[in-house]
Amino acid sequence: MPAFSFSTAVIDTVRGRAALADPACGGYATFEGWVRDHNEGRAVRRLEYEAYAALAEREGERIVAEAIAKFGVQHAACVHRVGDLDLGEMAVWVGVSSRHRAEAFAACRYIIDEVKHRVPIWKKEHYVDGDSGWVNCERCASPGAHEGHADHAVPRATGDRQEHGSGQVHAHAAMTSSHAAADFSRQIALPEVGAAGQRRLRAGSVLVIGAGGLGVPVLQYLAAAGVGRIGIVDGDVVEASNLHRQPLYGVADIGKSKAAAAAARLRQLNPEVTVAVHAERAVAGNLVDWLARYDLAVDCSDNFATKFTVNDAAVILGKPAVFASVYQYEGQLQVYLPREDWPCLRCLWPEAPRDGLVGNCAQAGVLGPVPAALGAMQAMQALKILLGLPVESAPALHVFDLLGMHWRSLKAARNPACDHSPRDLQTDAIDPAALELEYPTLAAARAAGLTLVDIREPWERAMDDPAARIEWHLPLSALLQGATALPPAGRYLIVCAHGVRSLALAGHLRSLGYPAVFSLAGGLAAVAG
Amino acid sequence: MKKVTLQYFAVLREQAGCSEERLETAAATLAGLYAEVQARHGFTLPLSMLRVAVNEEFRDWSSPLESSDRVVFIPPVAGG
Repeated sequence: MPAFSFSTAVIDTVRGRAALADPACGGYATFEGWVRDHNEGRAVRRLEYEAYAALAEREGERIVAEAIAKFGVQHAACVHRVGDLDLGEMAVWVGVSSRHRAEAFAACRYIIDEVKHRVPIWKKEHYVDGDSGWVNCERCASPGAHEGHADHAVPRATGDRQEHGSGQVHAHAAMTSSHAAADFSRQIALPEVGAAGQRRLRAGSVLVIGAGGLGVPVLQYLAAAGVGRIGIVDGDVVEASNLHRQPLYGVADIGKSKAAAAAARLRQLNPEVTVAVHAERAVAGNLVDWLARYDLAVDCSDNFATKFTVNDAAVILGKPAVFASVYQYEGQLQVYLPREDWPCLRCLWPEAPRDGLVGNCAQAGVLGPVPAALGAMQAMQALKILLGLPVESAPALHVFDLLGMHWRSLKAARNPACDHSPRDLQTDAIDPAALELEYPTLAAARAAGLTLVDIREPWERAMDDPAARIEWHLPLSALLQGATALPPAGRYLIVCAHGVRSLALAGHLRSLGYPAVFSLAGGLAAVAG
Repeated sequence: MKKVTLQYFAVLREQAGCSEERLETAAATLAGLYAEVQARHGFTLPLSMLRVAVNEEFRDWSSPLESSDRVVFIPPVAGG
């Protein structure tokens, strides 16, 4: 029996139960979702379910596998009906067997919630009054919807019933109680978003590297969609030659920091968004530190060195990254997801290309809508990641030709020869045998290509100037307990107050096989600023 | 001889002067095919910097070339 399947016939729960039976298991939990006779005050006569089967089965199997890994249960399975269903019929079945009951309940709940939210299934309700409409299949993800109903509980409206649907109005009011300006109703109306999805966006955070032709639409659409926190990395100033393809800026912005000017415009667009400005070029030494505070990276940079630095930071931290590049009328789009089977940028381009060999926008020329189109697609991929929706059915490099209007999706695979580890980082000559390194400032250490890790305890950090803090914080106590760990691929400078604990930890990590871990000599007491 | 369709992107498109061409070739592998068109169009990018896809899937340069293959040469691009 597959972990996740669709059924056109009545779900056979006896067979499902038998498939999960195991003498080692003392508990078996199931969930059944039934077709109910009403929704939003309208009497329902029957239902029709439709799924995008290839994608839905893969995502469903992933969810079941996640539940088994997350809760340590022995077996789990889910079956969803498709086609016509009458009142009272079972629409979905989840079964979990485990050694003890608590994990079985938790895994069962997890599977049904995630299936509702992530698996592309559509439901058409046929009402007693003869009307019908396609509605959301993401109901259980909303808090309060679980109590009292087996299924189909959250009231909501679809586009064709907005006049008399009350769900959309409620969702809108709930999301915008503090600011009258923001109205997300048109995206909340989407089955894949809903009120729960909007909350995910609001809780989400994205670091955008580059605020140029790609970055402008990315920043605009993420802020407008209600993403809660956005970081902007760009060390450049606005130039007159930027405006034709970066219409977030105006003539009055020429000469100003791009990151700061973009942040100001985003706050006007959506005052609810929190915007952080990093008006510096992204390098290996600072990017991991910054990205650690965000859910994902969107690479909108215009050079290979930065793109590979973003890739390395995402790999080190295990965060998704959305890449795009343009050349004249063409664009390339690729998403990195932190999964075993997913290729990184280095899998695709084992020989990191050197800047200068292929042209940039200044040399080769570009029309504004080309980066705008690619940037809009990056924003779309970023929103899907935040919403927990399937990003794409399989990893691919998407190649767009906007002059000829061709789009090719080239299947990309994990390169077995690629170890996903950072290379070609901008480093000074650091003696790999040295364990302690001296730097006059933290900025100098970052410029040398090192990722700074503050291992002091939280109470020690509490006294710092927040603006001067090292953002990546892994307290030594947590590291020693094994509660957290440094990813092995990376070049680290361990920092503590006086350089004693950091030296001990660096030596310990070297003995564990970490190739590039160093200690800041003298600790924070020895550096300025 | 094998009849194949070639597609070029970015700087290769500029240097070839077209985005697509059909050609008959005796090349046994994808590397051989690139060497052939590189000589004809004067492509400046070395093979090691490119990726090649056949029928929408990335392939190794040593992969054999089949008749009616649709071959795409892709250089990395960085503009933003």
